[in-house]
Amino acid sequence: MAILTAKKTTKRFGGLVAVDELDVEIKEKAIHSIIGPNGAGKTTFFNCVTGFYRPEEGEIRLNSHSLAGLMPDQIVRLGIARTYQNIRLFPNLTAIENVLVGLHCRLKANYFGIIANLPSTRKEEKEAAEEGNRLLKFVNLAGKGDLLAKNLPYGEQRRLEIARALASKPKLLLLDEPTAGMNPSETQTMMDFIRHLRDEVGITILLIEHQMRVVMGISETVTVLDYGRKIAEGTPEEIKKNPLVIEAYLGKGSAAETQGVAA
Amino acid sequence: MTRVLTLWKHGIKAGLLGGLITVLLSLMGMVEAFSQRQIVSGVLSMDGALLGAAVVFMGYLAAKRTTRAHPLWVLINSVTCGFITGGLLLLLIWVGQNVNLRAVFINASPTLYQLLSFGEGLETAPVLFVAGSLCGLFGGALYLLPGYLRKALTVSLVSVVGAGVLQDLIRPTLAAWEMLAEFAEWVFSSNGLTEQGAAALFILVAAVTLLWSLKGKAVQSGFKSLPATGQRAIQWTAIAILLLILFVLPQIVGLFLSEVLTIVGLYVLLGLGLNIVVGYAGLLDLGYVAFFAIGAYVTAILTSPELGFFSLSFWQALPFAILIGIVFGVMLGIPVLKMRGDYLAIATLGFGEIIRIMVLSDFLKPWLGGAQGIGKIPKASIAGFEFGMPQEIYYLILAGCFLVIFISLRLRDSRLGRAWKAMREDEDVAQAMGINLVATKLLAFGTGAAFSALSGAIFATKLTSVYPHSMNVMISINILCVIIVGGMGSIPGVIVGAAALVGLPELLREFAEYRLLVYGLALVVMMLVRPEGLWPEAVRRREFHEEEPSENNGATSTASASS
Repeated sequence: MAILTAKKTTKRFGGLVAVDELDVEIKEKAIHSIIGPNGAGKTTFFNCVTGFYRPEEGEIRLNSHSLAGLMPDQIVRLGIARTYQNIRLFPNLTAIENVLVGLHCRLKANYFGIIANLPSTRKEEKEAAEEGNRLLKFVNLAGKGDLLAKNLPYGEQRRLEIARALASKPKLLLLDEPTAGMNPSETQTMMDFIRHLRDEVGITILLIEHQMRVVMGISETVTVLDYGRKIAEGTPEEIKKNPLVIEAYLGKGSAAETQGVAA
Repeated sequence: MTRVLTLWKHGIKAGLLGGLITVLLSLMGMVEAFSQRQIVSGVLSMDGALLGAAVVFMGYLAAKRTTRAHPLWVLINSVTCGFITGGLLLLLIWVGQNVNLRAVFINASPTLYQLLSFGEGLETAPVLFVAGSLCGLFGGALYLLPGYLRKALTVSLVSVVGAGVLQDLIRPTLAAWEMLAEFAEWVFSSNGLTEQGAAALFILVAAVTLLWSLKGKAVQSGFKSLPATGQRAIQWTAIAILLLILFVLPQIVGLFLSEVLTIVGLYVLLGLGLNIVVGYAGLLDLGYVAFFAIGAYVTAILTSPELGFFSLSFWQALPFAILIGIVFGVMLGIPVLKMRGDYLAIATLGFGEIIRIMVLSDFLKPWLGGAQGIGKIPKASIAGFEFGMPQEIYYLILAGCFLVIFISLRLRDSRLGRAWKAMREDEDVAQAMGINLVATKLLAFGTGAAFSALSGAIFATKLTSVYPHSMNVMISINILCVIIVGGMGSIPGVIVGAAALVGLPELLREFAEYRLLVYGLALVVMMLVRPEGLWPEAVRRREFHEEEPSENNGATSTASASS
């Protein structure tokens, strides 16, 4: 059963076709990777899914719900959360505040309830704080809630961003290069964490990744984009052997001689 | 030789700069204007304090530029700085006595030269060198002293100068109490502090500051180790005492100061509203005075018999004033929803001007009174008690401030407050986190407008008349300055900012012509020395002054394509 279906999705910027008639289907509880050379349209596709860009053609559905014309905040409420390639936390808010902002769409307090400090608002705030602390603990940031996000070290910022995304209780989590700039052991920890998210929490993961070790290590399905088009799709083993993929990365004619190098 | 020069240049540079500053202060007439007010009677007047402070500050700066490794060089540089400053002032006197500077600088009067040369003319030349050098040396010594001593010295000196400057505020207040009258006599002369009063104040403040530096940590940790109920009890007692003081304040300080307090209070209301729009939500609104005008004019139209449309009481008109303020706040918000930063500032600036020009126009004169404004607005009253005198209106404003502070506090710590702050930090990501930008922005504009309209309504009943010229763009700028100087997003900051930028100038009316100059100077100095404001939000305080761990965001962009 597919959780996310994109059909013939096309996004153009003037004359440039960033995403070209893309068909992708992401299965429920899968770990699905999108790879491709720089400028292949991976992040553009993410932006289309999260409502940041409006695709000119095609349709994207979450389960059976069309995302066409929805604002980013409405799409989050439906259950899609994301992280960014270059970390985009709220730098001058504390770690816990960042997570609480992620919880925003699951809270209901309204203006007058806040000013009157109704029992329901108080209860909700208390539960939100508990949930926020639980999430910080979940990403191994327990006790760092009161630090400003910008003062956290790089790896912790990455984890905080994931905690913030998880706060909105997503069904589908989009991770844009979650291991960028990490050393091998940090990368391994992140891979374990992603697998844990899927296995224990039951969140479907769609990730963009450049490190082939990660892509081949954790994903069940890999989609390869080049110039906005899907050039291949399959299990990591199939992708490794696909001559079109090797060509896209290394140039024409190199398929035969470099077989297997990408591994 | 070059080594000597590299080290010495800091002192020379600071001295030239200090000389430039002091000469400018003299030529602008500040020295002469300030000389009327004595700080310590017969010993130090305000002009002396001003020039002295400038030289001490430059001496301190010269010392700071020289590294701590050479204590002797630090002192040499600070003395050099003071020496050069004194020399340049001397040069000014010499030039002034031989060339007629008054053609350009109308303030370059013989009185100025008298003041600068301590009343003696050119013969006292060496004294200026000595005085300058001593001030510079003091600045250098301040730098070399351990932190707690430096703090104690600066705080107590500033207190003495402050007490002298604000003598007209403190002396009558003390004298109003019979038992304190004698004490007031002892501390203050007819112009400035007495010598013994200044000395006593200096020693007292220094002792308290020293004690706090040495024992403050212990007191704080002692407070923290108390059980939660104990802490709560102490906090509530402190709040109760503060409330009591606020409540009896106008009865103690008299008519003029109550008037000043009401003006400060109106600015606190305005500042807290703008604090929500700019401080929390990060929407730079330069036309904020528009909502103040709307609040004032709606109150005027609904209550004034002069126009003859309605004659509601203040309390009946108030809800309409606030409601219409909110409606306009939202109406302004809708067209600028997509604008950010500079564009938003320009658009809102235009909106503020539109409102002002509309109330000024002849076309709308039958309804809005035109340039003559609207008069005969009735005073507010509750059960026969009329808020007429400043001392009475004070309570109206105080109640308004409490209400607005209460709402601000509740909103700040809520889901909505967090959404505002997230939007301030990064609008796109905030939206991607599920924040409805349209609703959140409009709520910020609406809340800010409501506070401002409340302030406007009270302003109208306070003056019993409204005029277009009291709604000009300078009010918007002033409010913005209040929250910048006080501390963006900080509620106590707004109050401190309003007291400093609105209250102080009212108390120092005789120097009103330098008001804008000092405003500008204060803003520049604030941005350099204390960018987070006088009383920043707790988190922001940390942000600016904690040693930050090394940033490694640079690594983000380098992602390897394969391994």
